[in-house]
Amino acid sequence: MAFNLLKQSANTVIRNAVVPSSTSVTRGLFTGAVQLAKEDKGLEQVYTKKESLLLDTNNVIGKTSNTSVQNYIEVDNKVDLSSVTGVPEEHVKTRLVKISKATKNVMQSGTDNTHNWVMEFDNRERWENPLMGWTSTGDPLSNMKIEFAERTDAINFCEKNGWKWYLEAENKTRPIRSKSYANNFSWNKRTRTSTK
Amino acid sequence: MNGSALVRSNLVVKGHGGAIGLPSLAFKNVLQTRQNTTAAAPPPELKASYGNLSDSDRIFTNLYGRHDWQLKGALKRGDWYKTKEILIKGTDYIINEVKTSGLRGRGGAGFPTGMKWSFMNKPSDGRPKYLVVNADEGEPGTCKDREIMRHDPHKLIEGCLVAGRAMGACAAYIYIRGEFYNEASNLQQAICEAYQAGLIGKNACNSGYDFDVFVHRGAGAYICGEETALIESLEGKQGKPRLKPPFPADVGVFGCPTTVSNVETVAVAPTICRRGGAWFLGLGRPRNSGTKLFNISGHVNNPCTVEEEMSIPLKELIERHAGGIIGGWDNLLAVIPGGSSTPLIPKHVCETAIMDFDGLVAAQTSLGTAALIVMNKQTDIVKAIARLIMFYKHESCGQCTPCREGINWMNKIMYRFVDGQAQSSEIDMLWEISKQIEGHTICALGDGAAWPVQGLIRHFRPELECRMKKYQEQNEKQALSN
Amino acid sequence: MFRTTLQRTVPCIRLVVAPGQFRLNSNAPAPPSKLEVFIDDKKVLVDPGTTVLQAAALAGVEIPRFCYHERLAVAGNCRMCLVEVERSPKPVAACAMPVMNGWKIKTNSELTRKAREGVMEFLLMNHPLDCPICDQGGECDLQDQSMAFGSDRSRFVDIDYSGKRAVEDKDIGPLVKTIMTRCIHCTRCIRFASEVAGVDDLGTTGRGSDMQVGTYIEKMFLSELSGNVIDLCPVGALTSKPYSFSARPWETRKTDSVDVLDALGSNIVVSTRAGDVMRILPRLNEDINEEWLSDKSRFSYDGLKRQRLITPLVKDNKGNLVPVEWEDALVATSRALINANGNIVGVSGGLSDAESMIALKDLLNRLGSEQLYTEEPFPMTGSGTDFRSSYILNSSISGLEQADLVLLIGTNPRYEAPLLNTRIRKSYVHNDLEIALLGPKVDLSYDYEYLGESPAILKDLAEKRHAFYAKLSKAKRPVIILGAQQFEREDGAILLAQAQQLSQELNKNADKGWKILNVLQQVAGQVAALDLGYKPYNNLPAAKVLYLLGADNESLTKCKPAGTTVIYQGHHGDAGAAIADIVLPGAAYTEKQATYVNTEGRAQQTLMAVQPPGMARSDWKIIRAISEFVGVKLPYDTLNEVRDRLTDVCPSMTRYGDLEPANYLVQASDLAKDLSSQTVSTPLNVKQITLEDFYMTDSISRSSPTMAKCIQAVRKQKESKYYESRA
Repeated sequence: MAFNLLKQSANTVIRNAVVPSSTSVTRGLFTGAVQLAKEDKGLEQVYTKKESLLLDTNNVIGKTSNTSVQNYIEVDNKVDLSSVTGVPEEHVKTRLVKISKATKNVMQSGTDNTHNWVMEFDNRERWENPLMGWTSTGDPLSNMKIEFAERTDAINFCEKNGWKWYLEAENKTRPIRSKSYANNFSWNKRTRTSTK
Repeated sequence: MNGSALVRSNLVVKGHGGAIGLPSLAFKNVLQTRQNTTAAAPPPELKASYGNLSDSDRIFTNLYGRHDWQLKGALKRGDWYKTKEILIKGTDYIINEVKTSGLRGRGGAGFPTGMKWSFMNKPSDGRPKYLVVNADEGEPGTCKDREIMRHDPHKLIEGCLVAGRAMGACAAYIYIRGEFYNEASNLQQAICEAYQAGLIGKNACNSGYDFDVFVHRGAGAYICGEETALIESLEGKQGKPRLKPPFPADVGVFGCPTTVSNVETVAVAPTICRRGGAWFLGLGRPRNSGTKLFNISGHVNNPCTVEEEMSIPLKELIERHAGGIIGGWDNLLAVIPGGSSTPLIPKHVCETAIMDFDGLVAAQTSLGTAALIVMNKQTDIVKAIARLIMFYKHESCGQCTPCREGINWMNKIMYRFVDGQAQSSEIDMLWEISKQIEGHTICALGDGAAWPVQGLIRHFRPELECRMKKYQEQNEKQALSN
Repeated sequence: MFRTTLQRTVPCIRLVVAPGQFRLNSNAPAPPSKLEVFIDDKKVLVDPGTTVLQAAALAGVEIPRFCYHERLAVAGNCRMCLVEVERSPKPVAACAMPVMNGWKIKTNSELTRKAREGVMEFLLMNHPLDCPICDQGGECDLQDQSMAFGSDRSRFVDIDYSGKRAVEDKDIGPLVKTIMTRCIHCTRCIRFASEVAGVDDLGTTGRGSDMQVGTYIEKMFLSELSGNVIDLCPVGALTSKPYSFSARPWETRKTDSVDVLDALGSNIVVSTRAGDVMRILPRLNEDINEEWLSDKSRFSYDGLKRQRLITPLVKDNKGNLVPVEWEDALVATSRALINANGNIVGVSGGLSDAESMIALKDLLNRLGSEQLYTEEPFPMTGSGTDFRSSYILNSSISGLEQADLVLLIGTNPRYEAPLLNTRIRKSYVHNDLEIALLGPKVDLSYDYEYLGESPAILKDLAEKRHAFYAKLSKAKRPVIILGAQQFEREDGAILLAQAQQLSQELNKNADKGWKILNVLQQVAGQVAALDLGYKPYNNLPAAKVLYLLGADNESLTKCKPAGTTVIYQGHHGDAGAAIADIVLPGAAYTEKQATYVNTEGRAQQTLMAVQPPGMARSDWKIIRAISEFVGVKLPYDTLNEVRDRLTDVCPSMTRYGDLEPANYLVQASDLAKDLSSQTVSTPLNVKQITLEDFYMTDSISRSSPTMAKCIQAVRKQKESKYYESRA
């Protein structure tokens, strides 16, 4: 039932908003599902089965970046929305936004989270809630961490909301060092492996 | 294994290996893409029959140690005869003769020797070149190199010199299996004799060519028979195989260009050069030329090592030299034709199998080291293969994941199969696991461990299922009686 | 800081010495032509020698891996990176295989996926399912990759028969916890130890499924960089002992910050939860620490919770320090300052930030005192601290990778600046860098030519008499690193002058624009202090009020000067607070947004990860408050305004992340000429000789129980009969 609802309403509403840039391949989990809902009549059968739906890896972990939102209004000149956003003045005037690009987490090999510019607010006090031991904070913006594809987007967003911001320079990426397995065995170089 | 089923099997595309059977498996198409290029037509038969090698065509004339193995005896048998002339004729001559002879590596993978040696003749960049002789004969069932080293060591030493000359090497390292104490001792003695006689060393055989031969004893690891592991071990490190590239011809022992060759391959080289490649080519079928040492062990009346012509039919080999199967030919169950890492073949395949590279590939197995392990019907075939897998589990170096973990797992499953303590669906799983190991490891040990299991499943699936059924029935009976 | 943003948006005008800039001009072969490869049908042009994995990265395809790590040698043993190459019967290991022209690589084909799934299954076969109690949970490569590339169910029925492999845990010291059952034998830790740390302590024993990663004989992993194996371990086999079972990565907040426990300013991430620092991780910065971190910087965060000053203290008439309210403390402070009549001496310590230093300077100047000193000495003869190039690491940390010869004088970089040492070691390994050491013989984790410990050798070198000079003079890109601790010697000025003279000599043959002389500072605050006009502490004049801004220096605090009121402002109750009459609790580096300039002259800022404990406050705010009480109100109310003031004094100080080069080496050398002819005879010595000297060097690490445990463990290891010193 719920699925049918999705089929009817989501098809019309979401399809209008999210238009895949390439016509043939739909990417991203969300758009992929919607697409399936429209085209694949066998999907209902899948839902009746116990097995989960077999999705293409691309649909699950693929980028959503080539979907673009259309039909929104663009305003050319800069606007300051801080007076109408409803954010308390204290959290506009005194807050400082750091815009930076995340570096790779040294604990892991994946780099997927490092491609976006992130805006973060300055850190305010947190404490442990004595009742449950959870972390509490009085800062309504402490969890507002937004990712942008471009730093200019982040800057525009901050300016629109009246926040002061600063940009942390992008970390230098080092040139690819040629890595040779043979170096482990060369006799006259110090790259020779001593231990295994 | 004298390395060898290990040695270079990953250079040559393995055509055998069976996608055959089990068509229901989901990954069938993968297998098909992966294998076989060797589905080529069988080599033409130029002679009516192969085998029954005449004494005049034998290379290893002291295989049984009935004569003096030392220099005097060796000279009497024709070793070191006109070696100087061969050396003086030079690199191109030797490589050309070896190429003409069609000699293929005797270590298991069967890579054309002449071509391999010619890889060493790239323009020098100042590094010395080395010949490494793989005498780490550890493959279960294989015992050909030790016969050469203890009874005919001068053949090997002369071979080192000739092969070394062919590739411009400055020294040969003979990496001999640690357990071969007497062989190493004889070999060392022979090397001393050769040095004293001026046959090797500075200005070897008065040819103006300097060549040293060293013996290095291993410490008892099967994996050190794999050529790159052997190189590592020779350098004093843990014998863990290297990835290729770099091939040893680029970066080998001590970081220098190196060729690793099997003892038998090296030892036949001088005779080929003396008698000419054409003579060698005349023996055996095309692409599978020459003579070969066959080891026949297991349930035969007369286990032996014998030099025979390539392409001899398996049945004839066993009947003629090993005195037949214990209990007669009809009592035969299966033969592992090329040392423990090759898939077994059951009796009906043995009837027609031809003992050469192509012949055994056609039978979905491999010549390997040509060490036949004959099993008659008193054998518990599942247990036999399980024991082999235990050997591989024990000898896996542990470097790369599929081999380290996969063979351990296969071992566990195999021993359950011995009792029948499994579901029949696990047979397919075991097959899949063996396929997950094969071709995914750094060296060929993973392949060598996967093949016996594949051979077993291919030919003895009913036997496995039967055991499982029996076990289940027994269990049910027990449960009822309780 | 906001004015810097514009510059920052255009990174191309940054004044950073690009690596490779110097490498090109000598004996580099002509750039080879590019190879064309296809990654999933996408064409990429790569240099010859590029591996399949690197080529795929260029195409934006990340190939899963366990054993491969960018900064370590290729091992190729995990087999996770197997990919299909068209017309190759077997999948190839992407991490080790160099691409060939025209290769078509399929990173998501059936064969590739099947291979990955197979490897994944094998890895999980003997991996315990203890993710719920595993500290790696949530940041585990094995978890992630099994989700993405593994099968959705287990076939490992043998769990019901024989179970999984179990391995005895090792004890490799108080920092790294081992749960070796989880090990997937990727050998990253082994390669890190032998290549980067230069300590061949780790290795494998046994073979096949009995293979174990460990130390063979149970011993401590004796390295100042041991904590990095925790990061490198793709599973939970090596985890942090102090952090164990304390937090999950998804419940901590990560604040980007900068380490201040040595002078390098390594970039760090401070993980916090509910106002507690849970752990510190390195943050990638190619110019400074790459992605490593020294053990002191990583593990001494528990020192931030001990020995802290959490309330203002004022000495009562019995001579005891008693807790008071801020107001009382500020009144007492201002009274003392006013009564001093300008006879005030300010000393800033090694952990002080630029904001508090500029505030203190402004305050004392307004009170009529010019007596502002740093805790660390520096010779004031010659040009003194007039030229910035005299006291910074001119070559820059990453610039050391271009050097072809390094001469270390009176320093042990292995413990004074471990990540500088890894750079030298990296060059030693990959670029065949030669190193010479003048000073006490220490184990630097690489081979070096030992020149001796007599300072006379430096004079001989400067006067071209020493045999080693021949080699030095041939170097195209020589580097001299002089340890700043030598300036504590009375003849430190002479050493500096001789080093300056030597570097001028070498300059004649060196590449144009190459800077030779470097000073390796010991503390994080020194460069900023000198930049701001603080005078180095050589001999302190007597004063009525001594204002210690985090200064705990031994020589300074060993006895309280009579008749002097000592005000101590800082975060730890260390030596400085012990002699103080008034104690003002400040914030540690994790508790404030503050500016530090590292030894190469690069300004960076820490960010506030947690609030200062108790009544402690940001340091510049305390001084700002004092100024109001004294009646000379400082003209800044916000951090931003303080930074405006910093920019006025020293514009480079707020260009965060940028290297501010200095180049008055020639002038400095000329001004010190008359000194260099003098002879010095006392042998050179350094403070940190062995590993146990490394762990406690400042008030934070001195308060850290973990660091204390490390020292204990090292001492215990030294008593072991298997211990052998390499020095």
